[in-house]
Amino acid sequence: MLRVAAGDTAAFAALYDRHHRSVARFAHRFVQDAGKAEELTQDIFVKLYRHAGRYRPTARFKTFLFRVAANHCLNEVRKGEYRVRHVRQEGEEDRPVEMAAPEAHSPQRAVEGRELEATVAAALQRLSERERTAFALCRFEGMAYRDIAEVLSASEAAVKSLIHRATLSVARAVEAWQAGAKGPARSEA
Amino acid sequence: MSCTVEDELTAYLDGELSAVEAARVRGHLTSCSDCRATEALLRRTLSELSALAAFEPSAGLRRRVLAEVDALPRPWPERMRAWFRPGVLAPAGVVLATAAVVAVVVGERAVTARAEQRTELAVAEHYELLSDYEVVGLSADDLEVVEQLDQLQKEGRP
Repeated sequence: MLRVAAGDTAAFAALYDRHHRSVARFAHRFVQDAGKAEELTQDIFVKLYRHAGRYRPTARFKTFLFRVAANHCLNEVRKGEYRVRHVRQEGEEDRPVEMAAPEAHSPQRAVEGRELEATVAAALQRLSERERTAFALCRFEGMAYRDIAEVLSASEAAVKSLIHRATLSVARAVEAWQAGAKGPARSEA
Repeated sequence: MSCTVEDELTAYLDGELSAVEAARVRGHLTSCSDCRATEALLRRTLSELSALAAFEPSAGLRRRVLAEVDALPRPWPERMRAWFRPGVLAPAGVVLATAAVVAVVVGERAVTARAEQRTELAVAEHYELLSDYEVVGLSADDLEVVEQLDQLQKEGRP
């Protein structure tokens, strides 16, 4: 990161290669839209490059990165608009994709996976922005409460509460989906 | 109605509680069926979440990010490094040295010109006296004499 601050674009490219998936995943959980998630990811990395000089080696890089990412996503979501600056080129490699989970082999499992995804996405949209951020960092990036507290400038106790409320809310949504849609569908089959 | 331990259940499953707190939650679960049900629900959900599809950004995103970064103005440290490259530094040193020599030469000439101007003014000021004393071809020593002419005249010296 210190090399990036000095304008080393090769170091920046290596940094991007190592962390872009995490940031894109986080942004995608935040906005639930592949195109918007890529725009946010692009903005986040450009911002990271431009403000690399503010990074202090005392801070863990992942914490620093997700602080930038979370602030940017929160601000953009509050603005409620996203810039469209580029036309995506045609071709498979330029399309963001959602990788199938390893166990989603059968068509039925794939459908269930998509329904579960939609249920979780809908539940996430009902959460507060801070709950969603804490939940995404914990559940999808595997960050510890202490690090999430640093990202959100909150106490660990507050983060514990945010994550519990968010997880319980998502769990109730998943439970309702399983009891309603999945349960009867399975019994009819 | 949920008990206060319910708020600890997610942190308990995430392994974020201290050993003492975790033991307290474990103990509570043996006696509270509501918390056991909530803990089971949370545990199932965490398992379901781990099976969710992961978003994979496109390869084109990398190109766009790097292109945007390349188009940005270079940061100061890199610009300074560019300035201090030998290929830039050597010619710049030659230019600076030449400029210094020119400045010294021009400065000396300016000083000389000012001194000559002072001499001419002194000569003009004391022209009548000079003509009396028939001073011809002024040198630096002559200038000193000229500057002292008023004083010499007061003291009655020729």
